[in-house]
Amino acid sequence: MKPAPFAYVRAASIEDAVAALAASDGLAKVIAGGQSLVPMLNFRLVDVPLFVDINGIEGLSGVEETPGGGLRIGALTRHFELEASPLVRDRYPVLHEAMKHVAHLAIRNRGTIGGSLSHADPAAELPAMSVLLDANIAATGPTSKRSIAAQDFFEAPLTTVLAPDEIVTAVELPPLPAGAGWGFEEFSQRRGDFAVAGVAAVVEQDVARIAVFGVHDTPLRAVGAEQAFASGGVDSAVDALRSEIEPSDDLHGSADYRRHLAGVLCKRALEVASKRARA
Amino acid sequence: MSPPDDIDLTRPKLVGAKVVRREDPRLLSGAGNYVADIKRHGMLHMAFRRSDHAHAAIRNIDTKAALALRGVVAVYTGGDIAEMANPYQATSRMKNYQATFIPPLAVGRVRYVGEAVVAVVAESRYVAEDALALIEIEYEPLVVLIDPEEALKPDALKLHDDLDSNILAEREFIRGEVDEAFENAAATAGERFHFTRTTPVTIEARAAVVEFDKGGRSLTLHCTTQIPGIVRDKLSEIFDLPGPRIRVIAPDVGGGFGGKTSLYSEEIVACAASRALEKPVKWVSDRMEDLMTTGHAFDEVVYADIAIAEDGAILGLKADVIGDVGAYSIYPWTATIEPVQVVSFMPGPYRIENYAARVRSVATNKTLTGAYRGVGRPISVFVMDRLLDMAARKIGMDPMEIRRRNLINDNEFPYKAASGLVWDKSAFQACLREAADGIGYDELRHEQQAARAEGRWVGIGVASYAELTGVGSRIAVAPGMPINTGTETCNVAIDSTGAVTASFGIASQGQGMETTLAQVVAEVLGVKVEDVDVILGDTSAVSHGTGTYASRGAVFGGGAGTLAAKAVREKIVRVAGHLLEAAEEDIETGDGNVWVKGTDRAMTVRDLARALYSDMGRVPKEMRDEIDNLEATKVYDPFFGTTTAATHMCLVEIDAETYKVEIGKYIVVEDCGRVINPMIADGQAHGGVAQGIGVALMEEVIHDDSGQVLTASLVDYVVPSAVEVPSMDVIHVEAELPGTIGGFRGLGEGGTIGAPACIANAISDALNPLGIEITEIPATPERLFRLIEAARNS
Amino acid sequence: MMDRISISVTVNGTVHTAEVEPRLLLADFVRETLDLTGTHVGCEHGVCGACTILMNGDSVRSCLTLAVQADGAEVETVESLGDAENLGPLQKAFRDHHALQCGFCTPGMLMTATDMLRKYSLETDDDIRDGLSGNICRCTGYQHIVDAVRAARDERDGR
Ligand SMILES: Cc1cc2nc3c(=O)[nH]c(=O)nc-3n(C[C@H](O)[C@H](O)[C@H](O)COP(=O)(O)OP(=O)(O)OC[C@H]3O[C@@H](n4cnc5c(N)ncnc54)[C@H](O)[C@@H]3O)c2cc1C
Ligand code: FES
Ligand code: FES
Repeated sequence: MKPAPFAYVRAASIEDAVAALAASDGLAKVIAGGQSLVPMLNFRLVDVPLFVDINGIEGLSGVEETPGGGLRIGALTRHFELEASPLVRDRYPVLHEAMKHVAHLAIRNRGTIGGSLSHADPAAELPAMSVLLDANIAATGPTSKRSIAAQDFFEAPLTTVLAPDEIVTAVELPPLPAGAGWGFEEFSQRRGDFAVAGVAAVVEQDVARIAVFGVHDTPLRAVGAEQAFASGGVDSAVDALRSEIEPSDDLHGSADYRRHLAGVLCKRALEVASKRARA
Repeated sequence: MSPPDDIDLTRPKLVGAKVVRREDPRLLSGAGNYVADIKRHGMLHMAFRRSDHAHAAIRNIDTKAALALRGVVAVYTGGDIAEMANPYQATSRMKNYQATFIPPLAVGRVRYVGEAVVAVVAESRYVAEDALALIEIEYEPLVVLIDPEEALKPDALKLHDDLDSNILAEREFIRGEVDEAFENAAATAGERFHFTRTTPVTIEARAAVVEFDKGGRSLTLHCTTQIPGIVRDKLSEIFDLPGPRIRVIAPDVGGGFGGKTSLYSEEIVACAASRALEKPVKWVSDRMEDLMTTGHAFDEVVYADIAIAEDGAILGLKADVIGDVGAYSIYPWTATIEPVQVVSFMPGPYRIENYAARVRSVATNKTLTGAYRGVGRPISVFVMDRLLDMAARKIGMDPMEIRRRNLINDNEFPYKAASGLVWDKSAFQACLREAADGIGYDELRHEQQAARAEGRWVGIGVASYAELTGVGSRIAVAPGMPINTGTETCNVAIDSTGAVTASFGIASQGQGMETTLAQVVAEVLGVKVEDVDVILGDTSAVSHGTGTYASRGAVFGGGAGTLAAKAVREKIVRVAGHLLEAAEEDIETGDGNVWVKGTDRAMTVRDLARALYSDMGRVPKEMRDEIDNLEATKVYDPFFGTTTAATHMCLVEIDAETYKVEIGKYIVVEDCGRVINPMIADGQAHGGVAQGIGVALMEEVIHDDSGQVLTASLVDYVVPSAVEVPSMDVIHVEAELPGTIGGFRGLGEGGTIGAPACIANAISDALNPLGIEITEIPATPERLFRLIEAARNS
Repeated sequence: MMDRISISVTVNGTVHTAEVEPRLLLADFVRETLDLTGTHVGCEHGVCGACTILMNGDSVRSCLTLAVQADGAEVETVESLGDAENLGPLQKAFRDHHALQCGFCTPGMLMTATDMLRKYSLETDDDIRDGLSGNICRCTGYQHIVDAVRAARDERDGR
């Protein structure tokens, strides 16, 4: 289990990195934390001729407040930095909680926010958080910059709308309404493993935002369940969610079981969130 | 049987003490010496191209491009190796057994995914793997045998053309009148049980480094084996090399659990390559290779039935066991070891007079199964203790009570079990009693009632078992095999510097034997633990030894060590009597000193050694001629072996919505005789139970219909982490010491034997309101989901 | 561009410069190039934790890090904690509590525990188990490891 040969360049700036990607006919890839890429390299599951390492780019890392009361998180911010950030803990406790479920400390020390979003694992926490929190993902390409709404970002398992020569530079979170409650529920057989199913919710009064992971081919904002919650409360939301997702089978759980779990976790997340909202 | 009274362990000081381990400082500071750490000048690296078909004819292999790659030194196929190494198979005199040849590299046909087909030797592992990608193999797929119940049918395609069928072994055990017993039963219970396939997952994967000595034309194989002696003896035949020219060393080994008790193809190919190239060759298994090729475990379907009387007494037991042993019969244990043990041990510690069992080992297109911690017994206990609970439920009897009534009582030993095994006296009943007391059984039953009333699924599990450990020459561990598993050798030597070295044929893979055996030898000899250097796992150390498996280390090592140390002590006493001018009866030894009882006349063992070896004249010639040296080699044969018994109990709660199983409490009460080091004994139980929890709840090797291994990473083959393993209580009862030297019983495997049954019983107990009985493990949330859905819909 | 790349890494206080292939894993750099074989490799896909080392003070998987990515970094391996004759406090706690059997997972456990003890309060055994959950041990059943880390936490907190 050793990687096949590849070439490697360190980018000094975003422009540098994007230029290197653009020059490679779409074959080169960014490497950030490497926590998703290197396992695939070791298994020789991917064949990439050139890696562009973005770890040395200044200013891509860190959590800062935005004027509107939201946060801007640099793409190179490590999972652990997010977990430990007081700003995140205070303003987005649901995100703080979610980070604790991402793998283990050593992987959180290395894995990056941009990497997790770009990798787009449907069972990962961060992509689901980005859709839950109505995040905007900032990307830079050779000729332009754009901001992509998280809900439009994920296309399929491990596939996003990013062009091969585009780089995620940051993710921006708009503020959460004051008094909103939150719930986060995840099921995995072993601590730290990817979710078999996960549901996160933010509730203010009758309005719920619900995002699911591990139960669909992308992280999903469960719009149907949100509407059902507004009209019929928790139980209707659960029913709506179960019919709106399309889980698939794998070794860790069948589609039927995932659908069942999604409902259970949704109920729990909504109940906790509602309670917190009132408190 | 009582302990031989001439060996004085009546007032031990070192044996039984919580001595910190001697191996720890090096292992904690990164200074251990594992096979993968070995580096030699000019060393080459080997990698294997493995079959991606479960069953196919090999039409062509093109290795030209691989050989042309820069840095590649040699490429070998099955045909090449066949010319470099004699063929071998695991023979046995057992009736109805068919051996298979095991080609080190496939010849003409591949029979499981992961089977080695081509070996590449290159300047680095990276380059070797690059070369693997350049090899082209043309396969012609054949019908794949996945289901052993299909493969055993007379019209099934034969996996080995030269054999009569795919049934590699078949045996029957019959005692008493089973049919009659079932006719007279107050209640019966029966099921099809399935104990799925698992794999050992030592954190150190297998590895081999072979050195070739050009001058001596000899090979030294450093490898991660539990059985250096057995590997050496077989390699000597395979390569036509006498013992002194083939040395096998197992240095620090990162866990074994049975997975390292077989001779493996990679070891043979590495030896062949090193000999041909006259260079050191290294192979280190990666995790994917490990999961696909290290001997798999268990994999049995058992149709079993129990008959009980109104008072809960077991009247009869029937079992039909089908073991899926994979593509070849593994060396040295054969395809019989695992499935046959299932039926040998099925009656367990219970009084069962009427027993009828049949077992068949069936070849399929899967990885070979071998010996994994517990070998067969986890299944026996799972089936037997599940049946007991199911039967008890039918007559409304408590699981504790039905066990109490059927466990063999103290006054019934020695007891000949229905399968022919003989249990010597062991604390069967006391283990059950103390487990119940320890976990607060009655209290838990009350709590369970309360929990049920709240709609919570709480269950209590009990499992009792007995195993034979330290089995001597009377019953071979694997009957009929041409290896001797019944004796072990120890040499104790005090050299001219006064240092004590104890050399054994067994090997250590983490059991702390450098410490426990030093404790035993130091105790008997009368020196300090830190004064004894223990040599393990090196075939050059003693003339015969097999290794560490089947919970034999403490019994055999402790026994042989005691005998050898005692013989050396006698020599010390002879010499001391002369030097200190006292009668031999008056000489005492301890802490490295020798003295005359009740006087201050004393000397150190070191001075005594110097006096004997170096200061000519201090010991008269006649005495020197008689004594030769302060050295002795002894062989210990415990003959029958001894019984180790235990009861496990646990409390589980199943989330009534997600179906996740949480283990709240766990207790192990075991009778492992005299405990050499309680800290180490506890650790063995903890580790065994943790593996048993894995087996019960999450671990499973999964193949698809085409024979692909779907669990080829540790993401998909899930072993428990610190969160899934609860804190547990371990209690040792030293009821009555067995007849082994020192009174030791084996304890390495127990945890894994009891835990699957105990947890399955607890889950079934928790789900009793739904009428669910666990008959297949691991009881993953997915499986529970299906069972619960089905129960709710019916 | 497949050329070797020159890197300079400070390992356990010593600066090492080497020309390495980009694909060389940090685990192999430490073990093979620098001969620091205390760092073990158990899976090469991030699950077992045996290869865990500290990079710039943070625990990382050396099997999931390229050696070229450690250029300019400070790396600490198990060898930095103390040698066989002079064990450090955490190593001692492991020995006293019999927190290792075969010792293969141990270097990764020690480096993980070092980082955990710096970053988390570890109030309860559950916290300790959670922190250790990315390191698989097949021998000990974890109980004695939890005991050792708890003792190290108590020492840290002056309890
Ligand atoms: C054992 C293990 C368990 C794990 N468990 C979890 C878990 O439970 N939950 C979870 O969410 N994750 C888990 N992960 C994955 C981990 O969180 C990764 O760190 C993360 O998914 C990827 O981040 P990275 O920085 O390491 O990305 P890399 O591995 O470097 O890259 C991943 C992909 O993203 C691309 N990429 C990286 N950065 C950018 C960028 N800025 N712009 C454009 N493309 C980019 C790369 O080209 C690559 O395709 C686990 C990993 C391991 C090894
Ligand atoms: S070897 Fe790195 S995590 Fe297993
Ligand atoms: S001590 Fe052997 S794997 Fe942990």
